[in-house]
Amino acid sequence: MSSQSNTDISSKEYDPTTWVPEPDTHGTADIKKTFWILLFLTVVDVILYFLIPTEYVLGRAFAFVLLGIVKAIYIVGTFMHMKHEKLGLATMIIAPMFFIIFFLIWMMYEGHFWGTI
Amino acid sequence: MSTQTISKTSTWGGGNSPFNVSYGKLMMWVFLLSDAFTFSSLLIAYGAIRYSYPSPDIQKIESLDIGFADDVQSKFAPEVTNAVGNAAAHSTDHVEHFIPAMRDLGVFNELQWPSPDLVFNHFPFAHGLHLPLIFVSLMTLILILSSVTMVLGVEAGQRGDEKAVSKWMLYTIIGGFMFLGCQAWEWTNFITAGSRMYANPYGPPAFAALFFGVTGFHGFHVFSGVVLNIIVYVNNLKGVYAKRGHYEMVEKVGLYWHFVDLVWVFVFTFFYLI
Repeated sequence: MSSQSNTDISSKEYDPTTWVPEPDTHGTADIKKTFWILLFLTVVDVILYFLIPTEYVLGRAFAFVLLGIVKAIYIVGTFMHMKHEKLGLATMIIAPMFFIIFFLIWMMYEGHFWGTI
Repeated sequence: MSTQTISKTSTWGGGNSPFNVSYGKLMMWVFLLSDAFTFSSLLIAYGAIRYSYPSPDIQKIESLDIGFADDVQSKFAPEVTNAVGNAAAHSTDHVEHFIPAMRDLGVFNELQWPSPDLVFNHFPFAHGLHLPLIFVSLMTLILILSSVTMVLGVEAGQRGDEKAVSKWMLYTIIGGFMFLGCQAWEWTNFITAGSRMYANPYGPPAFAALFFGVTGFHGFHVFSGVVLNIIVYVNNLKGVYAKRGHYEMVEKVGLYWHFVDLVWVFVFTFFYLI
């Protein structure tokens, strides 16, 4: 989380419509590392696609969804700067997504019992 | 007494930004969360409908013995007899033979979800060859690369480097157009094969309807993102952000662009892998 405090703005009047924090830059090394990780995970996706036998329908689905979530953590954390934001903001955005993931897995399982639509 | 408790050092006491973000960036995050709900509803619908159908018949597909980069177009072409009556050659015209053959063999049928590697096996300039997942992996690579150029543009903006922002924004816009071009090519292939919102030669009509619905919705987001990127690029060329003193608009548009990349990760997972 950002160690930057809000004390630097107390000197001038705080106007919520125009106030912008000081830029919080972390260099390009982390960005490049994240790119290679994302590329690697996409290649792993393709390899697993041909490697896991097709009988394991749900196993395949869970493996790919899990890899998707790992990629999402890297994109949101590094590219979207979320790992440097305040915990409150990160919680506000990420917590609702746990319900979505639960709902997604639930409905994929539920679909088995529907018959064709 | 009340004026004493509302101090600038208290996080939620007013007079500062509790999350240490600007109003615009906070609202962009709220919008992205709501947009994530919309995309999730589409993907949840896909997941549920996909598993309401039986999975592809793996034994039947393996018995066809289709290898990687095989010329499936001539492999499944009907034999043409010449004037003497010999089976002379396979038909080499550009009529699609693969899909009708799969339908005749029952691999593609209305009651079974099609195997994605028999549906999305095309690659530009490699007509008729069986190249599953290659094109969509290329599309994913293009979008991830354009996300990287975007975040490098944001980083340049934080340093106040106007020229570098222009350079990276331009690369991001090019990446966006490349992705849209790929998407258009994919759609053209799908429509030429006979897929519509209500009909689908590969199997259940719901497959095509979901494909057009979800990739269309995502593609329109990419298009909107490219338009926003162009606006930021032109503004930066005109020196709007240098005059304003900060490049936060690049960050806000960047958040949207990464979100579009993030959604593609899941569209790729659901449509092409599962």
